[in-house]
Amino acid sequence: MNRVLLAAFLARAEVRSALVGLAIGLVLALVLPSLPGVGSGLALRTLTVCAIYALAAAGVGVLYGRLGLVSIMQIGLVAVGGWATLRIYHATHLPFEVVMVLAALVTAAVGVIVGLPALRLSGLSLAIVTLMVAGALEVLVTYAGFPNGGDGFLGRVSGGTLAVIMPRPALGQSDDEFFRYVGVVVVVVLVLLRWLLMVRPGRTWAAIRQGEAGAVSLGINTVAHRLLALAVTSAVTGVAGALLAASSGILDPTSFKAQQSVLLFATVLIGGAFSLLGAVLGGLFFYGLPQLLNTVGLDGNLVFVVLGLGLVQAVTTAPAGIAGQLGALWRRLRPPRPPRPSRPSRPSREVTV
Amino acid sequence: MNLLPFVVAGLVIGSVYALSGVGVLVLYRTTGVLNFAHGAVGGLAALLVWQTVELRLQPAVAIALGIAAGAAVALLFGLVAGPYLARVDQLRKAIATLGLALVLLGVMLFVWNDKARTIRLETSRISFDVGGARVNVTQLVCLGLALLVVVGTLLALRYTSMGTSMRALASDRELAAVVGTNVRLVENTAWATSGAIAGVSGILLADQTRLEPAFLTFLIIPVLAAVVIGRFVSLWLTLVGGLAIGVGQSLVSAWPTVSAFSTAVPFVVATVVILVATRRRVVTVGVVRA
Repeated sequence: MNRVLLAAFLARAEVRSALVGLAIGLVLALVLPSLPGVGSGLALRTLTVCAIYALAAAGVGVLYGRLGLVSIMQIGLVAVGGWATLRIYHATHLPFEVVMVLAALVTAAVGVIVGLPALRLSGLSLAIVTLMVAGALEVLVTYAGFPNGGDGFLGRVSGGTLAVIMPRPALGQSDDEFFRYVGVVVVVVLVLLRWLLMVRPGRTWAAIRQGEAGAVSLGINTVAHRLLALAVTSAVTGVAGALLAASSGILDPTSFKAQQSVLLFATVLIGGAFSLLGAVLGGLFFYGLPQLLNTVGLDGNLVFVVLGLGLVQAVTTAPAGIAGQLGALWRRLRPPRPPRPSRPSRPSREVTV
Repeated sequence: MNLLPFVVAGLVIGSVYALSGVGVLVLYRTTGVLNFAHGAVGGLAALLVWQTVELRLQPAVAIALGIAAGAAVALLFGLVAGPYLARVDQLRKAIATLGLALVLLGVMLFVWNDKARTIRLETSRISFDVGGARVNVTQLVCLGLALLVVVGTLLALRYTSMGTSMRALASDRELAAVVGTNVRLVENTAWATSGAIAGVSGILLADQTRLEPAFLTFLIIPVLAAVVIGRFVSLWLTLVGGLAIGVGQSLVSAWPTVSAFSTAVPFVVATVVILVATRRRVVTVGVVRA
């Protein structure tokens, strides 16, 4: 019986695609550092940060793609996650994994508190309010800075004292190991997110996006489910903040400007908001593209122009983004699957009269 | 502590927020597009004024050029993206303007980098004393212009044929088209008008605060808060909202202990307004269709 259930589970197209994604993700995470050309230095560090931002992008993508909610404050939440990580570490010196989970919880709480009022109104209000939060968080982060081992609530060292750097997790000391560490964490979080989208909450979210009136008539508490989504995606974003804090042990307020949040949102829509592949592409665009432009000697600010135009294009003509277009290409190239030979238990769909 | 200078400064900044908000509101009501790029358009206009004055152009000509550039950029976006945007829902229309904001910000950072500059309008050199606060002519212009634009827009919407068409579009786009309104013409007028207003307010804000691309781009935040206070419909309430936010920010920044939080004022005010003004949203079949 169990085997039959398992077979039925594996036969679902979404499960198969998720498993393929899981396998590819794990292989990439473990093998990429040993490839020649990638295996050391700037390229690997860039890819590490790209993978981290893929988590923040996944948060944006799930909110927009699955619930139709626009959140333009995710980089601010990454900063919150990073701040909480450094603060908790310097106060307790707990192992990084524990700190990361705690920081995710803190970020989830912040995301929910901020989004709660706007959720009661239309999607446009949430977009407006989150943009305001992005602006306010940028200033707060610049004002408060990031904890670096000092006293007091803000934890900033002053005077001649040296800043204390949070050490990397025990399992990821070198650049290679840290990339694998980040890769595994990212894949695990994305798998959890994918699983959540396939079970009841995810289906409820999809129902709300498809038609709110229908969802309400089924007795779904739409505000509660949106809050859950906001909490989950904020927690995921908090994990991204924690990993970012771990990668260098210290954070700089200038990397968390409000325009970065807008940029991240653009990359998610360009990459594709309806799949987690889109989120990974979004992370690559968000952090990899400016680095690439710098490497070839172009001004990194041009990335705003490119991605801004891409966002307009994505909204007007390609709602599923690059991931959607890749999926369509794959479906066109794949040889048509022969029909299953025997399906006796299924009643035929065509009704002959 | 004498708070009067802070109140005056707040009223002035607030009136420019309101002025800018009128541009956002007119465009939103006419085309359904909530323009997140409004601040960026203003920033571009202000930087063009700075650049042309540096090139020894007459300040008056430079300002006219800046305002025209603001109108041209907004009109261009309306011309190119408008037809596509008419087919998508309001949220996506707003998102598309985020793309425009990014493009303009990128262009500004690419051409002028992110150094903080200042422009001093001629009118800022003439100032006088009002009860212990220095007031210059630019600040009077800000206050006067905001009032003038609110009243002028109300009258134009009420009494001109273009205004009537705009109200028709705001009420029902499809019906307006059915009864023979030239929808594209009206929408393009709205884009150009709001772009010109964005240019004016951008130049004034750059004079009153600082000329920095990202800063001016994100001045859309208090402007949006003013529009939220106006409940996306009322010009007068938008004016009141803009003034309230300006004074609020200015007063918060007067106390050193909380001055860092002055940029959170628009968020707090807008959240409170959203909470207070919330009527439970009626879920209709229209929501499904949208």
